[in-house]
Amino acid sequence: MRLAGAFLAGLAAIAGVGLEGTSAPSGERILFGQSAAFSGPAQELGKNMRLGIQAAFAEANERGGIHGRQLELLSKDDAYEPEAAIVNTRQLIEQNEVFALIGAVGTPTSRSAAPVAAAAGVPYIAPFTGAAFLREPTWRNVINLRASYDQETEAMVARLTADLGIERIAVMYQDDSFGRAGYRGALKALQRRGMAPAAIGVYPRNTTAIKTALLDLWTADPGAVILVGAYKPVATFIAWARHTGWDPVFITISFVGSNALAKELGPGGTGVFVTQVVPFPADDSLPVVVAYRHALANYDAEATPGFVSLEGYLAGRLAISALERCGPEVDRARFLESLRSAEPIDLGGFALRYGEDDHQGSDAVFLTAIGNDGAYRPIHSLRDAMRP
Amino acid sequence: MTGQLKRLLENRFRISAQLYMGIGGAVVLTMGASLVGWYSFNRVGEAQSHVNEESVPEMAAAFGVAQRSGALTAAAPRLAAAATPEDFARVAAEIASEQDAFEAQLTTLTAFEAQLTALTRQRGEEELFANIRANGAALIANIASINRSVAERFALSAQSAALRVELAEVRAEMDNLLIPAIDDQLFFAMTGYRTLDEEASPRQEHFSEAEFDRYRHLADLHGDATIANQLLASAFNLADAALIEPLRERFEAAAGRVEQRQSVIGASPALTRIAQAFERLFQMGLGQESGFNLRSRELELAARQQDLLARNRSLAIDLLADVEGLVGAARIRAEEATRASSDAILTGQRLLLALNIVSIVGALLIAYLFVGRVLLRRLERLSSRMRSMASGDLETEVDISGRDEVADMAAALEVFRRHALEVQRLNLVEKLAEELQGKNEQLEKVLADLRRAQDQIVMREKLAALGELTAGVAHEIKNPLNFVKNFSEVSTELLEELQEVLGESEVKLGEEPKEIIEEICEDLTGNLERICQHGERANAIVHAMLSMGRGGGDRQPTDINRLLDEHARLAYHSARASDPNFNLTIEKDFDPEAGLVEVVPQDMGRVFLNLVSNACYATDEKRRAGGGGEDYEPTLTMATRRLDNRLEVMVRDNGSGIPPHVVDKIFNPFFTTKPTDQGTGLGLALSNDIVREQGGAIRVESEPGQFTEMIVELPLKPIS
Repeated sequence: MRLAGAFLAGLAAIAGVGLEGTSAPSGERILFGQSAAFSGPAQELGKNMRLGIQAAFAEANERGGIHGRQLELLSKDDAYEPEAAIVNTRQLIEQNEVFALIGAVGTPTSRSAAPVAAAAGVPYIAPFTGAAFLREPTWRNVINLRASYDQETEAMVARLTADLGIERIAVMYQDDSFGRAGYRGALKALQRRGMAPAAIGVYPRNTTAIKTALLDLWTADPGAVILVGAYKPVATFIAWARHTGWDPVFITISFVGSNALAKELGPGGTGVFVTQVVPFPADDSLPVVVAYRHALANYDAEATPGFVSLEGYLAGRLAISALERCGPEVDRARFLESLRSAEPIDLGGFALRYGEDDHQGSDAVFLTAIGNDGAYRPIHSLRDAMRP
Repeated sequence: MTGQLKRLLENRFRISAQLYMGIGGAVVLTMGASLVGWYSFNRVGEAQSHVNEESVPEMAAAFGVAQRSGALTAAAPRLAAAATPEDFARVAAEIASEQDAFEAQLTTLTAFEAQLTALTRQRGEEELFANIRANGAALIANIASINRSVAERFALSAQSAALRVELAEVRAEMDNLLIPAIDDQLFFAMTGYRTLDEEASPRQEHFSEAEFDRYRHLADLHGDATIANQLLASAFNLADAALIEPLRERFEAAAGRVEQRQSVIGASPALTRIAQAFERLFQMGLGQESGFNLRSRELELAARQQDLLARNRSLAIDLLADVEGLVGAARIRAEEATRASSDAILTGQRLLLALNIVSIVGALLIAYLFVGRVLLRRLERLSSRMRSMASGDLETEVDISGRDEVADMAAALEVFRRHALEVQRLNLVEKLAEELQGKNEQLEKVLADLRRAQDQIVMREKLAALGELTAGVAHEIKNPLNFVKNFSEVSTELLEELQEVLGESEVKLGEEPKEIIEEICEDLTGNLERICQHGERANAIVHAMLSMGRGGGDRQPTDINRLLDEHARLAYHSARASDPNFNLTIEKDFDPEAGLVEVVPQDMGRVFLNLVSNACYATDEKRRAGGGGEDYEPTLTMATRRLDNRLEVMVRDNGSGIPPHVVDKIFNPFFTTKPTDQGTGLGLALSNDIVREQGGAIRVESEPGQFTEMIVELPLKPIS
């Protein structure tokens, strides 16, 4: 194994000699790399991101590619572990010589992988996370698609206080950098309104041991609970809370993986709110959503449309737009520059706007709720969903 | 004749025999020297090969052992430092080849030792060889130990790596089992809920001291499990084997606590799995193959390796010291051999030197005896005799003894000398006769010259006397001429008066007499005029004669045209006077611009007189010789021409001309072509002197039988 690794590294070193310093994609194809969770509790997120990106690339390739070049995606599983994300990212850059990295999943993984990509000067596009640090101007190679967790939690607090007049809001979060990012966003939103969390609950990552947190919140009896966690513990939490007869307003963050959450909750999920950073996947009023569903169906007839695969599709479309703007002569610097300095990108009802120090394309946060049928529906006010 | 030849041949053999003998002797000496040289070089070669065969290989072998042992010692730490099995295998292979080379060198050295004779063996060398062999064997054994210990270390490392992986797995499993169990236990104790399917149990059932104790024990169990896991994990980071025991002690305490709590908690399906996990953990921490034991074995092994390496180094140092001793011994032997070869070289050198001296002395003796004494000295005598003969000494006899070619040459030279002596005498007589004849001729010539000079002197005397006579006659003639002139002038005046008287007279004459008288008067006047004219001419001639006779005078502006004309006429008349048949046509082409030139008129007149006289003579000579034929008309052409700074006077005649061989001599004093009684040979010489004095020059152009032209160049302004 070690020998094989050394051998591969040697090959990469030999192959890399001629390519040193060049960032132009070679020949007839443009290869993108993805390190995401394809196993473990977050695997649904990784798989759906990949699905959406593949659908977008397949759509473009069917049209003849970008300036004659076919787009390809190479995905590697990091199981939501930072160490594995680092290894994958290095391999993708050094051995596979990807043009850019796209669709990474998770805050702790991105936090580890983004510096590796930055050191190699490789674009890091549309990670599936709203963590604030990736939106700092110092990350010249990072292009975010979605709104930040701060914006999501701000929208949550705003809606809870405005629509429902709830004043006691508790926060339950996963004990890692993702959970704390969401918690800090909620804290800022509350403090902005002169409030403080009614209670705080924490659970260890990669477990469903949420009962201690449930006890902590329960005793404080808040009107609403902001949940920042993975779909499984979040679903467990909601199930146990409702089982014990405690039923405050549950609102959770986009990262939870909406479809997986709904599936996990089953019939007991009614009335759970989820903030989204992409439009509703069944919204026919937006051309991009229509195109998404079409592309998805073309790519995989069995696939169910969802928020995550839509985000993956939008990420793919973002990359395609940037490549089209570059023209036939593509390199990494030009790719990044084309997004930062040019006109906003309109993907068909979903606009992305970047600037010299603004590495986040969209600020949009959408509200959804799980209905009686266990399916999501878009809402504009929390009040809408409270009606039976 | 045959006898002579035989003797000559004998002589030749003799001189060849001398030379061959000399050269043969030198050759024999040289051959002797070469033989001695060959012999001594052979000796040197033997000594050298002794060095090569004995000392050099020994030194090389000793150095080889030293080098290989150094390389082995250097390689051993690399063996210990190998990080991966691949590294280890590579280094081990290198060391194995080094070891082979080392052993081969040891074998070579041993084989060489066997060859050493008792004589050449140095003191203590045997001991050195024994030491080297012992140390070499120890070194090889030591490296084998290191090799083994490193292999063991790798086995242990692999084991401990596997253990660490298992430890991490156990920890994750315990987290996964214990964390939810604790979570569930707390929730149950607080709420009575155990699963989502059941409702809450009554408060007295769950909110009890036993349930909370169970929660506490579960939490403590997790804590102790974490502590035990950490303790075992940290053992792998320890570098000091002594510190392992405290860790093991704490681990044992934690394990004890865990067992205690497990027994307190009691059994449950989840707890069974937890117990299994703990069983694995305890096995890793407490068993014979525990992590602590593994680590302490690893550390022990490392310490042993260090010891082995240190021993390795000290062995190598000992080995190097022994090898150095061996090298020293070999060096001593090499030095001895070198000394022996140096001795041989020295002996050879001395022998060669002596033989060279003998050869040189012999060659010199041969040269002196045969070449120097017999040949060269006699040749030198012969040569000096020849030189003295060449410088005139023919009187001394050539006397060189011997029977060789030199003696022959001396005899031949003697013959030659006698002949030369006779010839010399004959030559002397002939030469004296020739000299006498030459002197005679000289004397005759001088005599002729003397006679001619005498004639000339006589002639000059005559001329001088004639000059004086002429001056006297001229003076005497001058007075009567004055009378003739004066009286003819008076007579003319008288005739004029007579005619006036006749015109005014009252005496009436008839027409006829009057006419006759007038006719007579006119005739008389004409006569008188002629008398006067000729008188003046005579006066001029006299004047010229006087001035000639006078000689000398001052320079004064002179009309050259007139001077030339006067003297030409004088010469002409002089010629006419001496020969009535003489006839000459004179043509004049005087330059009217000639002007006055400052000359001494008397001298210059003499020049012109001379030139014209010569011209008269030349034409007359031609006429008399009949060279010009019937139609010959002697002609003298005189011309003057004024140039920028000089005046040219040309006197040209169509007379006999001047022969080319005479042209150069005409200005020589006493040279003349005229008969002795007619010319002095001084005319042209004098003329040349006079013209030169005036700063001018005379040049001549002539063609024999055709013409002669004398050109006098006179500067307009005379030299001061």
